[in-house]
Amino acid sequence: MTIHSDSKGIKIENVGLRFGETEVLKGVNLNIEPGEFFAFLGPSGSGKSTLLRAIAGFGPNPSGRILIGDRDVTGLPPWQRNVGMVFQSYALWPHMTVRKNVAFGLEERKVPKKEVERRVEEALDLVGLSHLAERRPSELSGGQQQRIALARTVVVEPQVLLLDEPLSNLDANLRVQMRRDILQLQRKLGLTTIFVTHDQEEANTTSDRMAVLSDGVIQQIGRPMELYDNPKNRFVAGFLGSANIIDGEVRVDAKGPAFVSDKGLVLDFRPHAEGPGSLVFRPQNTFIRRSDSSTDNCLEFAGKVVYREFLGSLIRYGVEVAGHLLAVDEMHRIGLEHVGEGADVSLCVDLNQTVLVNA
Amino acid sequence: MKKLISNARKTLGYSALAVAISSVSGVALAAGDKLVVVTSFPSDLTKVYKEAFEKEHPGLELEVLSKKTTAGIKYIQETAGNNKTDLFWASAPDAFEVLKDDGLLQKYEVKVNGIPAKIGSFPIHDPEGYYKGFAAAGYGIMWNERYLKAKKLPAPAEWADLEKPVYFKHVGMSAPSRSGTTHLTVETILQNEGWDDGWATLKRMAGNFKSVTERSFGVPDGVNSGNFGIGVVIDFFGLSSQGAGFPVDFRYPSATTLVPANIAIVNNAPNAEMAGEFIEFVLSEKGQQLLLDPKIRRLPVNPKTYAQAPAGFPNPFTDERLSNTLLFDLQLSKNRYNLVNSLFDVMVTYRMDDLRAATEAIYEAESALEGKSNVKAEELIQEAKGLIAALPITEAEAADPEFAGVFTKKRKKATDKVTGRQAEVESSWDAFVVANYRKAQSLAEQAQALL
Amino acid sequence: MTSATVTRKGLLRLPTFSATQWGPGLVAALVGMFLLVVLVLPVAKVVYVAFQDPSTGDLTIMNFVDFFNASLFRESFINSFYVSAMSVVFATLIALPLAYFTTRFNFGGAAIIQTLGVIPLIMPPFVGAVAMQLFFGENGSINLLLYDWFGFTIPFMEGLNGVILVQSVHFFPFILINLAASLQNIDRSMEEAALNLGSSGMRLFRRIVFPLGMPGYVAGASLVFLKVFDDLGTPLLLNINNMLAPQAYLRISSVGISDPIGYVISVILVVFSLFSLWVSFLALKGKDYATTQKGGGGLLKRDLKKWERIGCYGVILLILGFVMAPHLALFILSIASVWSFSPLPDGYTLDHYAEVFQSAGGYISNTLLYAGLAGLIDIVLGTAIAYIVWRTGIWGRKALDFLAMGAVAIPGVVLGIGYLRSFYEVEVPFSEVPLASVWGVIVIALAVRRLPYALRACVAALAQVSISLEEAAESLGANKSRTIRKIVVPLMTGGILAGFVTSFATAAVELSATIMLVSTESDAPLAYGIYLFMQSAAGRGPGAALGIIAVLIVGLGTYASHKIIERTKRDRAVDQQS
Repeated sequence: MTIHSDSKGIKIENVGLRFGETEVLKGVNLNIEPGEFFAFLGPSGSGKSTLLRAIAGFGPNPSGRILIGDRDVTGLPPWQRNVGMVFQSYALWPHMTVRKNVAFGLEERKVPKKEVERRVEEALDLVGLSHLAERRPSELSGGQQQRIALARTVVVEPQVLLLDEPLSNLDANLRVQMRRDILQLQRKLGLTTIFVTHDQEEANTTSDRMAVLSDGVIQQIGRPMELYDNPKNRFVAGFLGSANIIDGEVRVDAKGPAFVSDKGLVLDFRPHAEGPGSLVFRPQNTFIRRSDSSTDNCLEFAGKVVYREFLGSLIRYGVEVAGHLLAVDEMHRIGLEHVGEGADVSLCVDLNQTVLVNA
Repeated sequence: MKKLISNARKTLGYSALAVAISSVSGVALAAGDKLVVVTSFPSDLTKVYKEAFEKEHPGLELEVLSKKTTAGIKYIQETAGNNKTDLFWASAPDAFEVLKDDGLLQKYEVKVNGIPAKIGSFPIHDPEGYYKGFAAAGYGIMWNERYLKAKKLPAPAEWADLEKPVYFKHVGMSAPSRSGTTHLTVETILQNEGWDDGWATLKRMAGNFKSVTERSFGVPDGVNSGNFGIGVVIDFFGLSSQGAGFPVDFRYPSATTLVPANIAIVNNAPNAEMAGEFIEFVLSEKGQQLLLDPKIRRLPVNPKTYAQAPAGFPNPFTDERLSNTLLFDLQLSKNRYNLVNSLFDVMVTYRMDDLRAATEAIYEAESALEGKSNVKAEELIQEAKGLIAALPITEAEAADPEFAGVFTKKRKKATDKVTGRQAEVESSWDAFVVANYRKAQSLAEQAQALL
Repeated sequence: MTSATVTRKGLLRLPTFSATQWGPGLVAALVGMFLLVVLVLPVAKVVYVAFQDPSTGDLTIMNFVDFFNASLFRESFINSFYVSAMSVVFATLIALPLAYFTTRFNFGGAAIIQTLGVIPLIMPPFVGAVAMQLFFGENGSINLLLYDWFGFTIPFMEGLNGVILVQSVHFFPFILINLAASLQNIDRSMEEAALNLGSSGMRLFRRIVFPLGMPGYVAGASLVFLKVFDDLGTPLLLNINNMLAPQAYLRISSVGISDPIGYVISVILVVFSLFSLWVSFLALKGKDYATTQKGGGGLLKRDLKKWERIGCYGVILLILGFVMAPHLALFILSIASVWSFSPLPDGYTLDHYAEVFQSAGGYISNTLLYAGLAGLIDIVLGTAIAYIVWRTGIWGRKALDFLAMGAVAIPGVVLGIGYLRSFYEVEVPFSEVPLASVWGVIVIALAVRRLPYALRACVAALAQVSISLEEAAESLGANKSRTIRKIVVPLMTGGILAGFVTSFATAAVELSATIMLVSTESDAPLAYGIYLFMQSAAGRGPGAALGIIAVLIVGLGTYASHKIIERTKRDRAVDQQS
């Protein structure tokens, strides 16, 4: 493979944007390293796509600065930014063949004809679709269109690659395959890449680091596991995977500080903080106490099973504890004895597996 | 309703149409006493007569169906199998001759007194008794005074004036194939000057045409709006345009024909009796007076009516010039009716650009020649003029009923035979005419090059 | 004419069509029969005569040989072709900037352009020709002024120029509407992808935007070509004879002529029109570029800088002036006392309107009745055909679609002649009135002529109705006909209404077919009334007044349809949000 890119980092400084009355981005600061695979994760309307488009130069000019490498691209038109973007809809031009689509960017850059041919061929090889060069986009499957869109973008050797929900139009199996392919391609090219998605699994599996966005604000930046294990706030905790979240506050009385939930449940542990907060722990770290289980370092709850769901690898119990509905996952094994609905149970969470976050 | 539909389906097979139609047929049937008139006259004329006649016959509805003369004939011919028309009412007598020959008119004897036998040299009523003249019309020249003033042109007086170079691209006329009245004008010139000279005059005139209008009204319309300055028209167009306030004037050239405008009952008329009543009404004193309406302005056939006419209104019964007009040979006109129409279209209407180009080249050569003497150039110009005037057929050929048959015969039965095809004949004429016009143009250009 | 590039995606999914559902089949058969009788049969009559030897009655191709041997007809053919092609060029010059402005920029002018897009269509073309002559003719207002001030004139209306001018001004909306629609259907990311890959400005327009808008442009342009090729009124009123449609009319309507050439020309007109439809069909095949995804349709819109705004308005005003010229001239004529060889009339009066209101009420009510009924027939047929073609698997449904759309290729004159030939000998059951002279036939002719427009609107409306809505009703126990009545048709209402108004508005100003079919003045519609009035020296004013009334009626109708479409769109948007 001879496609090389001159990979650059991306610096976003205090970028803000409003559409009329709505503030879509609020003072975003971000530093993406050269060659990094970075994900923007957030629900729809969080501003992740808007931020991506602002980097590419689409939409109204934001306030603040955007730098690619050392170059300030704020205010530059899209065609002068040398940023590669793959669109959610792929945006392959229906009136051109696959080859013409891929060659387009090179032709716009006035690359000599011979070289255009060679590089188009390479790019098509890279995505494994050289044999479809003369087809029209409408004759390709979704996955093939996706690859062509990628080839069309990387062939111009952009300094950064922006992927706007690239997998959302594919079916589930293909999505898993495609995300590996994209990652592999990115590694091969060493290209700084931003991947916008609302699917945490996609972000987790592909990205080196990611930013979780909500309401136009970056909630937290970090490696996927870091964010999962140590969410900074209630939103990040809830958005990444299933979580039991008990809202409440830390009260300090004569015995010292204690966590009291909003439904009046007092938890027997000694937090090192004060004021309102939420206690977060994952269903898979919560156990239904059976006779043989250990109780070391255990935060205990007494509750009643209100539902039981078989999820294949897991059994999920819903347990009501003083008005809080907590989820408990048990690994499914053949012969495991199930607890019935309506049974009174005692739950245990290892204190090391709990996090106390800001509300 | 249901029965109607099922019957329709059985008998016609046009079920869908019948369903749509059946709901409206009641309206058509309930219309009561009705008189249907196919006419080429403008609504300015028909409206006045319709109102007056309906007033005299309450409950009667006079249905006016406006069509160009030619389209009217076609309509009566096409619908003869199931005729719903009572009267045909139009200007050109030859149109009535065509219908008479096809056996589509009905004889009628006029009861009103006081109508002379002739106007000028023309019998007012058809001697065979099929159609009746009710108003006279003569052909002449109208012009727009503002136009002539702006372009510094003199007002024309005679047909020959229209051939002058000064009027190049200022004259308008309709095609005889499109307008019965224009056909009469053309035929008048042909009969007055003879076949060859007549056509030569017409073509010299046509060389000055700005346009050949599709309808006869296109000519007064063009003059009124100033689109072109001078038009060859029937008198009432000129007179009524003046009546409507346009800055136009009209004049009869010395060679004109007064021809009656006519009315006739169509054969198998659904309401023949009332149709007769209408003819009587039109010829009555009251009906004749309506012709003096400023929007109509046609010459009444009852001499008494002129007593009420406005000052300056021409009176053919006293005006020397008009009473001595040409004798018009209706039979001759009828025999070559379609042939003349077709010849005019081939030589003038459809080849206007070629004719104009040749004419312009000749004018330029002539003006270059003025005051000089160059025999060679003069000869070339004369030759060019001769080429323009040349005809693809002789008068004898034109009069040959066998040949004219190509244009007139209509195959009525599957066993009828017609020889020759119109398109074939016209195509050969066209080739002849175009070649001559182009050659004339190049000769005139050669002549000019010599000067 | 709505857009010919209506998205057909998703329409192609056919529900299983079981043999027990005979209802749609029966409807299809009835509709097919109807079209056969009112469209195929009359045209076939005309074709038959064209192939008949006038002397023996045998079938022959001699008439066609004669046609191609005659230099006049060859010339007419070339002229028709030239005029049509040039009209497309000029219509493009008018429509292209307008379409681009509306889809590219955010500015108030877009509303003006949308109005502009329909105004020319709501005037009978022959009236437009008269009016254009008044302003642009050799001695029209403009040239008189030019001559007075500068001593020269411009031959706007000289010969074929006049036809091209009138036709381009009249028919350019076809290109504008179709091109704008197809630009609006382009997914924004198509353009963004190109920008992202380094393309911009004219190159972007040439390589991406225009090719993607091409299907709409081709649809519009081929329609303009076809309409101009078939049009009769304009060349006739401008006294241009050397074109095919006028030749056909002149030959057929002239006295006693046994000549079949008129019919031959009719056939050639039909064949050529079908051919140009086919070419555009081929050009569009597999190029349904309606690419709108959830990303939002249309080009990237941007605000204009001050001088750009001035430039845009300048261009728009120039075009507006040109396009409105016929209406303005007609209006002035309608209030003019005498207007002769002067830039403006000598005086002004309202008498013409008084006269029209006194005597022309019949024309107006006839027009409302005929065009209304024709519109009604069209939407019933349009809805039925749209449903049969796109939602059932009935054998021959494509043929039904082609048949109905094919009506667009039948010149009004040809249809009129065909009707006279086919229906005159047939009497209305239980009466002696010939079928062809009943005014109902005018209604049917109008309905057939306008069916393609209504059908397109209905197909577009049907495309908006998801098939699952229909399946939901059926699974809840509603049978086909109840489903269509209670679910499909109500959901299509907006589109159907738009179709109705399009048919109504254009039928109201139609002359070419009606002029052949009107058998009594009391049955005559507006366009015919105008034609009559325009035939007399005193009648130009009232004719113009009637023309203005026609424009107002049709204009109001079109405005209403616009409102209806807007409201439906809004309702839908609200539905989707809630």
